[in-house]
Amino acid sequence: MAGKVIVVTSGKGGVGKTTTVANIGTTLAKKKYNVVLVDGDIGLRNLDVVMGVENRIVYNLVDIIEGKCRKEQAMIRDRKLNNLFIIPSAQTRDKDSVQPEQMKQLCEELAKEFDFVLIDCPAGIEQGFRNAIAGAAAAVVVTTPEVSAIRDADRVIGLLEASLLKEIHLIVNRLNQRMVKKGDMMSTEDIVSLLAVPLLGVVPESEEVVISTNRGVPLVHERGSKAGQAFQLIAARLQGENIPVDMGNNGSFLGRMKRLIWNS
Amino acid sequence: MLKAIRRFFGEKASGQVARKRMQVVLMHDRLDLTPDVMESLKNDILAVLSRYMEIDDQTIRVDLEQGKEYTALVSNVIIKRVYRAGVNLPEIPLPR
Repeated sequence: MAGKVIVVTSGKGGVGKTTTVANIGTTLAKKKYNVVLVDGDIGLRNLDVVMGVENRIVYNLVDIIEGKCRKEQAMIRDRKLNNLFIIPSAQTRDKDSVQPEQMKQLCEELAKEFDFVLIDCPAGIEQGFRNAIAGAAAAVVVTTPEVSAIRDADRVIGLLEASLLKEIHLIVNRLNQRMVKKGDMMSTEDIVSLLAVPLLGVVPESEEVVISTNRGVPLVHERGSKAGQAFQLIAARLQGENIPVDMGNNGSFLGRMKRLIWNS
Repeated sequence: MLKAIRRFFGEKASGQVARKRMQVVLMHDRLDLTPDVMESLKNDILAVLSRYMEIDDQTIRVDLEQGKEYTALVSNVIIKRVYRAGVNLPEIPLPR
């Protein structure tokens, strides 16, 4: 029973890949799955600060791949959940220090021990991107309702399809419902029809995200946060639950109940 | 409201928490001092100090401090007793 390797990618930087990895991973771990998060951004690591484990790094991803340590030595246990681990990236190396084939092998080994392996992909579509997607069986593409993010997401989706990655999901992050209602922002429907990829969930724009990253504690630990709830639903769908996506018009009664139950 | 209560009981504003965390992170990034390097630095300092004095090696702390125009290495350790020169100086070889 091998686990699932999922890469979280976007093309454009700053759309919320790392936040997505942190929150989906934490939710899955809270649901008792064994989860490991891998920071794939060599040279610009950030998952460690978002997860609040920056002071506990000894070894990193490149050390594992170069055989300087065993993979267990580089895994940092989460501060709250003992079935959640983080493999930090190297800060002072460059992206060419890892080859896609090596990443693929590491992912295979991790999938033997964990139910979910989530890879935080760097921005861009060069070597770092190719490394991050090499071992993945599924991809989650994160975009925001902005023209630049959508264009890059489309490019990335094309590259994923070309590399024969069949399972691709879409997350619309930082949606401002008020602006959509005024007609000043593309709606979720607009984005889904443009990109033509199945929608995994919509995360509302929220100050709480900034506050939780300030503290290095993922939002899903906080009760009653809208964006946190959205990430919990995304994690539930990713693990196979059939919960309808709230497009902003609340949906059916059954859908509302399911969302309510999953969030309790 | 809840936030106001938490503040009252001493929880720091998250912006301040973030600033403090980033100070430490950026300092380490710039100096490229990884935790394992810091650990061996600490052990070397301990070895040198223990040639001259008896120290409580459990209490040692080695921290980087960020001033406005400098970064300082600050180490604190509790001294139990100083050896008098030539009288009871133990022979402890320096590492490497």
